[in-house]
Amino acid sequence: MFDRKGQMKIIESFFAIGVVFSALLIGTVQFSSSPNLAKQKSLASLGVQALIEIDANGTLGKLIVQEDWTAIKQSLDVALPIGVSFNLTIYDENSNQINSQLIQNSNLLGRETVSVQYFCASQSQNAQFFILRLQLSWTR
Amino acid sequence: MPASSIDTFFACLVMVTLALSAMVVTSRLIAPYLNDLGHREDDERFQRLASHLLLSAGTPSNWGQLKSTSPSSLGLTRADSSLPYELDMDKVSRLNSQNAYSLSYQTLWESFGIEDVAFQIEIKPLYELSIALISNQTQGNETIYQFEVETKKSGMPVSADLTGYVVVKNFVNNVTSSTTSEGVGSFSIGIPNSINGTALMVVLAKAKANPYMVSFNTYAFGHQSPSPLPNRTYLWLSPLDYVLNASFNYPSIEILRADVFTFNYNFSLTTKAQGNQTVEYNITRLLDSSPMIMVLTGLNGSSSFAEWVPYPQLPIKTGVDFSQSIGGAKIVSQSHIVTINFALYEVVTKWGGQS
Repeated sequence: MFDRKGQMKIIESFFAIGVVFSALLIGTVQFSSSPNLAKQKSLASLGVQALIEIDANGTLGKLIVQEDWTAIKQSLDVALPIGVSFNLTIYDENSNQINSQLIQNSNLLGRETVSVQYFCASQSQNAQFFILRLQLSWTR
Repeated sequence: MPASSIDTFFACLVMVTLALSAMVVTSRLIAPYLNDLGHREDDERFQRLASHLLLSAGTPSNWGQLKSTSPSSLGLTRADSSLPYELDMDKVSRLNSQNAYSLSYQTLWESFGIEDVAFQIEIKPLYELSIALISNQTQGNETIYQFEVETKKSGMPVSADLTGYVVVKNFVNNVTSSTTSEGVGSFSIGIPNSINGTALMVVLAKAKANPYMVSFNTYAFGHQSPSPLPNRTYLWLSPLDYVLNASFNYPSIEILRADVFTFNYNFSLTTKAQGNQTVEYNITRLLDSSPMIMVLTGLNGSSSFAEWVPYPQLPIKTGVDFSQSIGGAKIVSQSHIVTINFALYEVVTKWGGQS
């Protein structure tokens, strides 16, 4: 017959195994949710580069002054690869949002996004400064 | 043996068994993530390599213009550029195997100097332009050709302004049009019936949203003559350092005219040097954010031709064909936007190495 001491050891062993498995489970969850930093860096680099190139010769500043949000959206559509979703918000130097309509190709809600900031100015006598915040995510 | 010893032995057995099975499960669960951590290092390394390729000028810094020189270190940036990711027209053109001064992949790989990495470089316009001949109709002394043009990026429409030129022997005509928000446009252009031969329709596009986003294409057809032979049948055209070298593929070739077409301008090329089977033309430097399409028309006996080459000589795809790569190789693809001669293009680099 098993005595109480032995039963306690069996219970202890089950506790120990429970602790081991819990540790494993936590570790696994942490691994699976850790972001792919390289992919995010690549996306951020792509976003900044797209904004820099679109802004060649002050094009971006000119389009913002003209409030031509459609042209800015179309420029990003062409500049960014298919498979990248974006949402661009434009602020003035007092951090007030100035784009009156959404500049995005799809909704980014619930997606792992990366955000980049870019500064540009209008090329006129009364130079205006703008802060552009571009959020990006891979569609697939 | 006391009952407690049996219990203890049993407990230890259970614990050891479960611990072992836990280790097996753990190793299986964690292995892909550990593998992925290794791959992340690869990703970052390949990213740095791509940046180096597109942000450095290489050695010598003007290797693109030096026809007989291979770079000792590979970089594609324009030597005196103040902009990031501004590539040199000639360095890019020398990546094209259709250029007489092109560099082989072996030379590029040795110049790049990273032994354990293979790569492919693709440079193309940000969107595609396709041309289709819809109809032709004789009206008086000329034939009116109607074309449909589509400007799209991977099927997504791009609204663009268009400039079209048609060239037949000594005749040139031009037309302007645009594509709608659906990326579709059309135009008609006339050619006199007093001439016949191979006609070349050149179409250049600038996106309405951003004039630095350009694309181009050509369409060859027979005007009162049989269908033309493929481009490069009669001439081997190689632009480099603002000089167009034309080598004749047949001894009896006669050049009728040589022109440059850009979005806003077209003009004749001036002859720089004339050889037995070659001609060199000077290419004027323009500030127009547009590729230059050079067209040479001529005769080979009774056959007329109209052959063309863009400058920068794009699109290109050079390097390793990764679709044939062996299993176990790690391949990373990266996309960049670059400026070449004031216009924007897309560079896709693919990097591969043993994982």
